[in-house]
Amino acid sequence: MSKWQTLQQQSFLDLNARQRALGLVDESSFTELAGPSERLVSPHLPELGEAVEFDDGVVTGVGLLGKHPAIVISQEGRFIGGAVGEVGGAKMVGALRLAQLIFEQLQKKSPAEAETRRPIAVISFETGGVRLHEANAGLLAHAEIMDQLQNMRGKLPVVAIIGSKVGCFGGMGFIAAAMDVVVMSEYGRLGLTGPEVIEQEMGRAQFDSSDRALVFRTTGGKHKYIMRDCNFLVEDTIAAFRRQVQEIAGMPMSEIEMLRRIGSREKVERQMRLVDFAARLSPKDSIDMWKALGNDDPKQILGANFSEFMAIAKRLSPTA
Amino acid sequence: MALNRLQFEFAPAKPRSLPVPMVHYGVVGSGDMEVMLEAKALGGKATIEVVTPVNGFDHVWQLVLQRFIDESQLADVAISINDNNATPAVVSLRLHQALLEMEG
Repeated sequence: MSKWQTLQQQSFLDLNARQRALGLVDESSFTELAGPSERLVSPHLPELGEAVEFDDGVVTGVGLLGKHPAIVISQEGRFIGGAVGEVGGAKMVGALRLAQLIFEQLQKKSPAEAETRRPIAVISFETGGVRLHEANAGLLAHAEIMDQLQNMRGKLPVVAIIGSKVGCFGGMGFIAAAMDVVVMSEYGRLGLTGPEVIEQEMGRAQFDSSDRALVFRTTGGKHKYIMRDCNFLVEDTIAAFRRQVQEIAGMPMSEIEMLRRIGSREKVERQMRLVDFAARLSPKDSIDMWKALGNDDPKQILGANFSEFMAIAKRLSPTA
Repeated sequence: MALNRLQFEFAPAKPRSLPVPMVHYGVVGSGDMEVMLEAKALGGKATIEVVTPVNGFDHVWQLVLQRFIDESQLADVAISINDNNATPAVVSLRLHQALLEMEG
């Protein structure tokens, strides 16, 4: 069995950034860009006596999903918690610009082909946001990615993939929320302020970040899927994530626009109605919210495996 | 405060060159390291550069790397290691895993 085939059935949660990038596109189609042999290490970490990595914690490359060129960005959580610094951030921006360039060149060549072979950009998140050792450069990278997402809006889909150990928090939580589509596994975690920071700021009585069950039912894939912060929940295999991204690659842009959670007056109004609903409900726990949405037995939701959960979960109404 | 940059050179007795231009293995996690092996005409020698935050273990590095070259006989290769406090056992393991990556 090839390396790609072995990867396909492995737990997505366990894979490193390079394995995820390789496995998310078709077999033998992945080419890494700005890879380790380019030695694009952080110029800031050596000054602080901190270890560097040749890819600065971000794998970027291009592959294929059927007929669609797929630009893949994959973050490595084991390197400084996946935090985004100057070089890794610039690689992310560069890869997204490349995706747009491919789209525009295809469109110039043939508008029909730009539709049938429309590129797709994917970010596999595993990060807590800005790398504090190089905070200004890291923040600038976040801003540039936000800008680039706007440039790509309505042209080609940008997809957030969240199913790795560290989850997706901090500034990168904002980035994920601003992308067209969010795909998670139940082990993925998404939020703005991470659990440890909430505890630090609000106290342990308010949020105990060492309570894994609490953290997962607040930030985990199941809750995000119920609340529609996550569009698609998939099984914890790289094959399941790849199939979902491939399906998105084939959707018309009008359908992809509908999957966005923010980005228009209507969508913001919907979010505000949800805030209002939550304020009136004043839930003590995400379980209270699940109950309010018609999930009468929240324990069943907590214990359900993937297929059971998909069969029983009642989600927030898309038009609520 | 700055990172340490250690350089080693070895001359294996029965030189064996890298069958591929480049192999990369590992992640610079805490207590871990990455290694990159690149084919390079070095007249039968192997060079190893280690970048590490750790001070004062140059002799241990020398021993671990010497053993790896003795076992693998790799030559005409430039080996680069980014280390983040890996123990000698982990260093040895990652180097051998890089070899497996190259063969598999």
